[in-house]
Amino acid sequence: MATKLESTFSDVKMTRRTFAKTTAALGAVAALGSGYASATKFTDKIIEEVTASPSPTTKRTKSFCSFCSVGCGYIGVTEDGVFTKMEPWTDAPTNRGGMCSKGAALANVTNSPRRLKYPMEKVGGKWKRITWDEALTKISSKLNSTRDTYGPDSVFFCGLVHGSNEECYMFRKFGMLFGTNNIDHQARLCHSTTVAGLLNTFGHGAMTGTPISLQHSKCHFFFGSNAAEAHPVLMQKIFEAKDRGAKIVVADPRFTRTAAKADLYVRFRPGSDIAFILGLINVIIENGWQDQEYIDNRTYGFEYVKEVVKDYTPEVVEGITWVPAAQIREVARIISENRPSNILWSMGVTQHSVGTQIVRACALLQCILGNQGKWGGGCMPVRGHCNVQGATDMCVLSHFLPGYYGVTSEGSWNWYAQCFSDTPSTSGKITFDELKARFATYNGESMMTKIGFTVSRWYEGVLKPEAEIDQPHNIKVAVLWGMGMSSITEMIKQKEAMEKLDMIVVVDPFPSVAAALADRADGIIVLPAATRQEGGGSLSTTGREILWRDVVVPPLYESKTDMWIFQELAKKLGFGAHFDYKNIEDVTREINLAVRPIGWQGQTPERLKKQKENAHTFDPWDGRAKGGPCNGEYWGLPWPCWTTDHPGTPVLYCDEAPVMEGGHDFRANRKTDEGEEIVRGNLPPAGTGGTIHWTYNYAKDPTGEVNKQAVAEGNPPTGRGRAMLRVQAKWTDRVPKHREPIESPEPDLVAKYPTYEDKRLYRVMTEFKTEQDRSIAEGRHTKYPIILSSGRQVEHHGAGAQTRNSEYLVEIQPEMYVEINPKLANDIGVKHWDMVWVESARGRCKVRAYVTERVNEKTAFMPYHWAGVFQGEDYGDRYPDGAKDLARGDSVNIIASPGYDEQTQMQETKVALCKVYKA
Amino acid sequence: MTTYKFLPDVERCIRCGGCEVACKQENNVPIGMRRIRVVTVNEGKTGEMNVPMACMHCTDPACLKACPAKAIYKREDGIVLVDKDKCVGCGYCAYACPFGAPQFHHGEGLFSFKGTMDKCTYCVLPYEGGAEKAPEPKCAAFCATKALLAGDADEISATYRQRAAMRLQKGEIPGE
Repeated sequence: MATKLESTFSDVKMTRRTFAKTTAALGAVAALGSGYASATKFTDKIIEEVTASPSPTTKRTKSFCSFCSVGCGYIGVTEDGVFTKMEPWTDAPTNRGGMCSKGAALANVTNSPRRLKYPMEKVGGKWKRITWDEALTKISSKLNSTRDTYGPDSVFFCGLVHGSNEECYMFRKFGMLFGTNNIDHQARLCHSTTVAGLLNTFGHGAMTGTPISLQHSKCHFFFGSNAAEAHPVLMQKIFEAKDRGAKIVVADPRFTRTAAKADLYVRFRPGSDIAFILGLINVIIENGWQDQEYIDNRTYGFEYVKEVVKDYTPEVVEGITWVPAAQIREVARIISENRPSNILWSMGVTQHSVGTQIVRACALLQCILGNQGKWGGGCMPVRGHCNVQGATDMCVLSHFLPGYYGVTSEGSWNWYAQCFSDTPSTSGKITFDELKARFATYNGESMMTKIGFTVSRWYEGVLKPEAEIDQPHNIKVAVLWGMGMSSITEMIKQKEAMEKLDMIVVVDPFPSVAAALADRADGIIVLPAATRQEGGGSLSTTGREILWRDVVVPPLYESKTDMWIFQELAKKLGFGAHFDYKNIEDVTREINLAVRPIGWQGQTPERLKKQKENAHTFDPWDGRAKGGPCNGEYWGLPWPCWTTDHPGTPVLYCDEAPVMEGGHDFRANRKTDEGEEIVRGNLPPAGTGGTIHWTYNYAKDPTGEVNKQAVAEGNPPTGRGRAMLRVQAKWTDRVPKHREPIESPEPDLVAKYPTYEDKRLYRVMTEFKTEQDRSIAEGRHTKYPIILSSGRQVEHHGAGAQTRNSEYLVEIQPEMYVEINPKLANDIGVKHWDMVWVESARGRCKVRAYVTERVNEKTAFMPYHWAGVFQGEDYGDRYPDGAKDLARGDSVNIIASPGYDEQTQMQETKVALCKVYKA
Repeated sequence: MTTYKFLPDVERCIRCGGCEVACKQENNVPIGMRRIRVVTVNEGKTGEMNVPMACMHCTDPACLKACPAKAIYKREDGIVLVDKDKCVGCGYCAYACPFGAPQFHHGEGLFSFKGTMDKCTYCVLPYEGGAEKAPEPKCAAFCATKALLAGDADEISATYRQRAAMRLQKGEIPGE
């Protein structure tokens, strides 16, 4: 319904850019070949057509979509050097040609006339064009003077989730050499809680299968994932399983488009996730449906889980979740009877003040059902951006170095000093002491081993008095690299921080609100970055598959690749010798050398390119090449890929195959606080290695010999451990338990299930109990009677800077809105598509009312992709000239909750209290 | 002899809009015109269903019979097209079509009304100008979930029949 073009804040009158169109007809259509008949032959093309260009000026390049993380391949067609259109790459094993509206609009986005065309600076209230050299000189001298005056921690580096693995690695390296851990990216806001939850339970913090492996499931349990909108092509795999008899269960506060495809839909109260899962576990144990043999041999701490969940009977859970007890029993029965079942989640699980614990609860459920480590079973946190898995692995994060080496250990820095010096890819040399000397000393300790600020609360580093932050001085300069600021909560505070900074540097093809939010006349420099269609390198999909992108079209206008910008800036800052890579493959090789804990050794640029050229040899059923040059390899060489002849590990912790065939196990070398070794009980099948309770000393072995030895002995280098259902005593909750959200509609439940005590995290105090109590003291549960959640629209992505500039996507989804139930609409006298205010204790947004039964009377939903309007005021005139977003709307993150996760500082966007009234 | 058809497998359609954007790009269809549109019925309620709606290239097209200007014709391979030079823009075809396929571009302002009918051409003709191309509808080729099937009628029905058979035999995964 939301398709009117008379848009309040959209400049939708435009003429479509026209390009020379090819009229060359493609040849006859070939057969698909395999018995995998889910589409017609008609829509499948043979590989020869891809490589044979019909005219010398037409070029076809195979690449991968730059929106969500499913890893959809496409063929980019350029004619006379212009990216004119896309063609379906039907051999791509994951999507087999399929693209959603965003993916199909890639050429349209790339060619958007509203891209930033050249570097610009805001001077005296006006945007002024400057040269690249002027821009980089100004930025580097500001970075140096800030470093000299206030120390390196007064610069905050932020973003780059859309960079290639190589560029993300370079960004983290850049932060290390600049001398600060104040570097963080979007994963903080999307799956940081997934990483913390799964890493501490299993050993790795990632989705345990691949999109392809989902086809083997007998039950898909969507819990806080609206894949039909957020990951449309993933649904292809879901339907492949559904056609083979798999069940679909969707539990979500909102009747989503995914829910519309479910065998059973359950609506629950936002923020009651843990209680719901513990209720399921309660029913499973009550009925003896757990996989006891699996639990005995492969997990630790089941007895403690049993103890905790006995309080969560379906009747108790009904009171917390608003879900009838009978429905809870029904869900438990379906996921138990149809194994292997999996659990899929996205932001619905992660973005909570208890996000890490909800993830832990999901992991427990999978272990208790014996699904974890089976094809089609396991934990499927589906990630949001095309390379957010890679950016996480390369650890553009304030608490890790690339490969999840913790920043708090000097050993990690020693390893990287060694790698930076030993890599043949660059000429630079640096010792540990020299690296340490680049960091500030504060209270007698080096800041090198101190965790930095996060994306979710970076502004506190600017706004809080210096005595209240754990670093020498406030943040003075923010470098926002491909970061949509409207995806971060507390936008009013962010705006204030952006006005207080000495300088804002924005690197982006579409600068959007990073450049337009702050009310300031000077001190913003914007640099036009290339899009992912204009740069090469590798990306990691949500399923840990590493895919290689070739350049579809060279950077348009004066834009430059992120790699080039890093190299030039590093030169000006005096550490260019560590960035003198000849090409992007050199960076990949440095990653192969350095990033060891997750097995990034086998994914050489040569192997990745070979896979791409031979995509048609991979069986879409299991993603494995049958014959041909990649024989035996899994698509994308999913990490861990231990050696250059390892096939990759599509399903983590799967002990049913030998390690050299993709087998794996839970991480060993972990002890309980009671001193018990977390070593598995039974042996895996004969010939696949014995029980070992150590991990090989592989993580800092530059030769790779230890990996070879381990796999030769039939073991993953991470050993053979157990899943930790109960974690160490340093955690507040060793087994998950329900805690009410920071803004709860239920004061009685808050009294019974209060949140955490206030805690210093990531250089700043986080108020848990104080804020929850404040909410009740102020009576927010009566003043703001509606629970507000936010989420995705299929046509837009992230903070929307790319997609809100595509006329095709804006035509389908032109405006920001709030979904409200018809009853609420009638009670407040609002009709469909009227303008309304949505107000919380933080501020308010002026948006359209979308009247629908997707939400119930007590909840409202807003998409989070919108920006350019701030509390009803259009900021269109603040954008750099020519780079104003085509469609603008108010941002839900102005009014979202002030809650944060206890482990990772994830923001709580899924539960806030609001009221809606006519504008 | 090939007979081209569409078949939307509505069980799989999630209204991601990939077909709509792919069509725009391939055929240079202007903003405001929709050769294909995914329509949701029972939105937000039990029974919600998405149906990709475009010209179905009927065997016996009602639009063709209704057209007083004889602008609509059917090719041997089944594709139904409109000759925009003959079309008078009366709109009878839109009344006759059971799928709401015929579209009329409004342009901007009263006198810019173009009037001639446009609809899905199975990707053989772009919106304006251009030579006829091979029939390869990009909506189906890009379909994210392989819901929209296109091709020869026999092949489509074979594919759909196989899916239907799989849906009948519950719980068995081939190859296990």
